[in-house]
Amino acid sequence: MTEAATAQEITITRVLEAPRELVWKAWTEPEHLVRWWGTGARGWTLPPSAVTMEVTPGGTFRVTLTNDEDGTEMTTEGVYREVVEPERLVIDEPAEGAWHEGAVTELALNDLGDGRTEMVVKTTIQTTDEMRRNAETGMAGSVDRLAEILESR
Amino acid sequence: MTVDQLSTTFAALADPTRRAILARLAEGEATVNQLAEPFPITLQAVSKHLKVLERAGLIARARNAQLRPSRLQGEALKDAADWLAEYRRFWEESFDRLEEHLREIQKGRKND
Repeated sequence: MTEAATAQEITITRVLEAPRELVWKAWTEPEHLVRWWGTGARGWTLPPSAVTMEVTPGGTFRVTLTNDEDGTEMTTEGVYREVVEPERLVIDEPAEGAWHEGAVTELALNDLGDGRTEMVVKTTIQTTDEMRRNAETGMAGSVDRLAEILESR
Repeated sequence: MTVDQLSTTFAALADPTRRAILARLAEGEATVNQLAEPFPITLQAVSKHLKVLERAGLIARARNAQLRPSRLQGEALKDAADWLAEYRRFWEESFDRLEEHLREIQKGRKND
């Protein structure tokens, strides 16, 4: 990595009332994934046929949401880097076609031994110096300003 | 993984002409002709930009009015200004539903 890239990180931890094997299934089987993934509440449809999950190192992860109103499709695509059933998944999302310079999502499932599972999801998003400069001087600046104008109305 | 709507918004914001169009719309609604004025591009090109902005939820266009004036939509813009928080929200909302889903399928199993 050069000095040109910086990373933003988001980590979310949840304790789920379900055995680890079941949580693993929810992450790795399309019929389960479509029940919870993404922005279903906001007018997007996700049928199982729109999910590709080759859950093996080097395999494809692809989810295509379809807008209920105008049929616009939105695809999230990545590659499984690590698959350790039933405890760890790492998905690389390439920069190509995305708004960031690459992102990595790591899923860790810890069996708490009492039928519950601790789930830790860490997403690391790469941004470049250029993106940051744009954000500082251009895009975010003008976006923030616009948001302010709207709020002041 | 991208936040689907957010990635569309960012793609739309990546273009300087489209940002300039948004800045103009922050002053009030405008027709395609009015928006095209300051730019050395065709009306057709401006229309194309408007379509991208509309799809990203950044603007809305009147359906019936003949000139179809565009106006700014605030919510998508605020999401983009705070994309990290929006990204987190995407996960949190998904995991709320994951919890619900896990509860439901286990209930089903116990009743079998």
